Amino acid sequence: MTKISKASQPEVEQTSRRDFFRKTAAYSISALAAASVLAPVKINAEDDPAIVEEKKWGTTFGYPVTDNLYGMPSPYEHNVTRRYTKLLSSGNYYASIAMCPIQDLSGIITPNGLFFSRSHGGVAEIDPNEHRLMIHGLVEKPLVLTMDELKKYPSVSRIHFIECPANGGPEWRGPQFPSLQFAKGMMSCAEWTGVYIKDIIKDLGLKKEALWMLAEGMDNSHMGRTVPVDKVLDDAMIVWGQNGEALRPEQGYPIRLLVPGWEGNLSVKWLGRLEFAAEPFYAKEETAKYTALKPSGKAIQHFYANEVNSVITSPCPDKPWTDLKKGDVVEIEGLAWSGMGTVEGVDISFDGGKNWTEASLKGLVLPKAWTRFSYIYKYEGKPLLLSSRARDDGGHIQPSVKEERDVMGVESVYHRNGIATWEVTEKGEVINVQVLS
Amino acid sequence: MFKSYHKVLLSTVLVVAATSTAAYAGDKSVSDTYANGKKVIDGGVTYPVAKGKTSSYHVNEKASEGGFTLGRKPTDNEVKAWDIDVMPDGTGLPEGSGTVEDGDEIYEAKCASCHFDFGTGGAGYPALQGGNAVEGQKSLTNQRKGPDDDGPIRVFGTYWPQASTMWWYIKTGMPHPAPMSLTDDEVYALTAYIISINELEIDGEEVDDEYELNREKLMKLVMPNKDGFEPVIDGPKGPDNTRAYFADTKNYGNGTRCMKNCFDGEPVLARISGAGISDYQPPISNKKELPPKKEGVEVPGEKTYKASCAVCHATDAMGAPAVGDKKAWEKVLAKGMDTVYANAINGLNGMPAKGGTTLDDAELKVVVDYMINQSK
Repeated sequence: MTKISKASQPEVEQTSRRDFFRKTAAYSISALAAASVLAPVKINAEDDPAIVEEKKWGTTFGYPVTDNLYGMPSPYEHNVTRRYTKLLSSGNYYASIAMCPIQDLSGIITPNGLFFSRSHGGVAEIDPNEHRLMIHGLVEKPLVLTMDELKKYPSVSRIHFIECPANGGPEWRGPQFPSLQFAKGMMSCAEWTGVYIKDIIKDLGLKKEALWMLAEGMDNSHMGRTVPVDKVLDDAMIVWGQNGEALRPEQGYPIRLLVPGWEGNLSVKWLGRLEFAAEPFYAKEETAKYTALKPSGKAIQHFYANEVNSVITSPCPDKPWTDLKKGDVVEIEGLAWSGMGTVEGVDISFDGGKNWTEASLKGLVLPKAWTRFSYIYKYEGKPLLLSSRARDDGGHIQPSVKEERDVMGVESVYHRNGIATWEVTEKGEVINVQVLS
Repeated sequence: MFKSYHKVLLSTVLVVAATSTAAYAGDKSVSDTYANGKKVIDGGVTYPVAKGKTSSYHVNEKASEGGFTLGRKPTDNEVKAWDIDVMPDGTGLPEGSGTVEDGDEIYEAKCASCHFDFGTGGAGYPALQGGNAVEGQKSLTNQRKGPDDDGPIRVFGTYWPQASTMWWYIKTGMPHPAPMSLTDDEVYALTAYIISINELEIDGEEVDDEYELNREKLMKLVMPNKDGFEPVIDGPKGPDNTRAYFADTKNYGNGTRCMKNCFDGEPVLARISGAGISDYQPPISNKKELPPKKEGVEVPGEKTYKASCAVCHATDAMGAPAVGDKKAWEKVLAKGMDTVYANAINGLNGMPAKGGTTLDDAELKVVVDYMINQSK
């Protein structure tokens, strides 16, 4: 890889080498000897300073184990962060979203500090000692649990993505974001640890007329959502663990609901209360928000699952192919996911979806989890229209933009899973486009 | 498309025929139907526990047998304190009243700074009305396919299915900086005001300034878009309507797995207009570099060093090892950290004890560490 990047930037590389040579030549002989691992051998212009020059980190102590008792990423990685934009914000960033830098992630696990963050009244900072979970309504035996008591239930750990159903929503009427982080960054994937609600409910005597469950947060917004009992008794969880540690405050510390595969908004954070009822609750986020308006004027409510979806993460507008030269062999890599099942396969197109070829899945392939796909490609420096199309084990296939618009129109706001396309230019730049054919 | 749950049936047969494939068949256990025989409610599939596993995960099935005795029953007061939701049938809606006029006054004081005069919205906060609600409801078939097309008006009066939601939300979520601070009467007054600016009628009556809203009247408000949503979720058939709706992908769209010549001619492209939305914070950067030094962020020891130590240690003119001189400090450090700290505390050669400062030992060590770090 080093050779590839050097060859593609010959001028830059040469200049920096000459600079280095000039600098070293200006040093005294002893200084040069001290700076070179080859001393006293003469350093040539084609020698990479990264190799032949002595490095501070190789010749002095690093920091001791007593420092950084909670470890942080290298400071050189400081540009890998969540990002926000004023356009997708209300309430002076208290009701807002920060996007996950999916262009910088590897594998299927999102580090906790980079997990996308959405709140409706700021990030609550809850004292776990003064937090309770209450389960009541249509149950024979209502229950209050402290956090310590809750964590004594048998735990399960599951890898699931959480995706805001508005992910990609600003692009219903056409592409808007010259960035993967903003086009698709309202999602992340983690290993969650908690308890199945069905395992708690078993002892509480759920009444047969109970069809719905309200989940309510204890933050400023007291946000509630209605979940059908079918899902509660299938795979809904109350989770306290995220990638092996406690949930981050941004993810609902000390506990959140996890409704695998469904609209992220249903996985209520800072969870305090579950109430079972015979009728749906019609919470505020089940009205003008989180409903998908169709051309008929009717809107889909209780639109639960995030449908099968995919996006190519390399290349992407944030990580273009401008450092490639003709003939380089590269991996086209991406993420596929479905809230309705397990990714079964992904096809790739180089001509905007006219012709397709099957990519490989790689790594773990799990239900309602991010799944990596891969295609090894010989780059020819020609313009491309790169698209990916995922399908799941429930028989769902990602629609083209046209197929999706035919049903949903352009005013849906939510649940956009039409095929994403990157235009790759001759120079290797990557542009966010949509194919309407 | 050959659905995978058909494969389950197939692999079940295989399990019977050859036990060596049993574990693999367990891995692939997937169904579009719950154990009770009903279809999965979201149109997707479920992974029943079979042979101790669900999909790829091993399961301790004893965990699902119940018998846990953790926690306790909440008291009546505890339930009352937390049970704050308000349902369409009036469950949770308390008695109380307020006039449109009162609501207008509270609105001006507590709401207009974000939602603007008359609830027109702005500054990233939503509009609370879009003119006459009955008229506005007709806009919901609008689709902005061209740049000059009007979009659908999605506000309380034109779009929301239930009025109970508004009372509940004002009571528990508003005003945004101070939720749960309004009295029930104030919430009735604000609800009355919002109903009024949406030009909605209650029981055939216009909601004007003098109108006093109470529990009974709010229960009579029928929202213009009450039937504007699918599937129908109300009543005992609600969940079954929902599962039937999502079982049919025609309701929300599905793709086709075409592989060759999937459309005629060249692809028609939609492009970002102008620079698109690109005012990201922080701006996108792939650089692997140290973060810029933030002004005003203090490095431990730096302040004391500059105030008390730099006078001698900034250069080697005073015979002290200069901060930044790697070699000089290597010589110092060769004595061992205990000695370095001790010399700093007790003084050495021309340097007074603790460099003449009044720091305690721990504080002084921070300054020494700073000087060493600056000299690596």
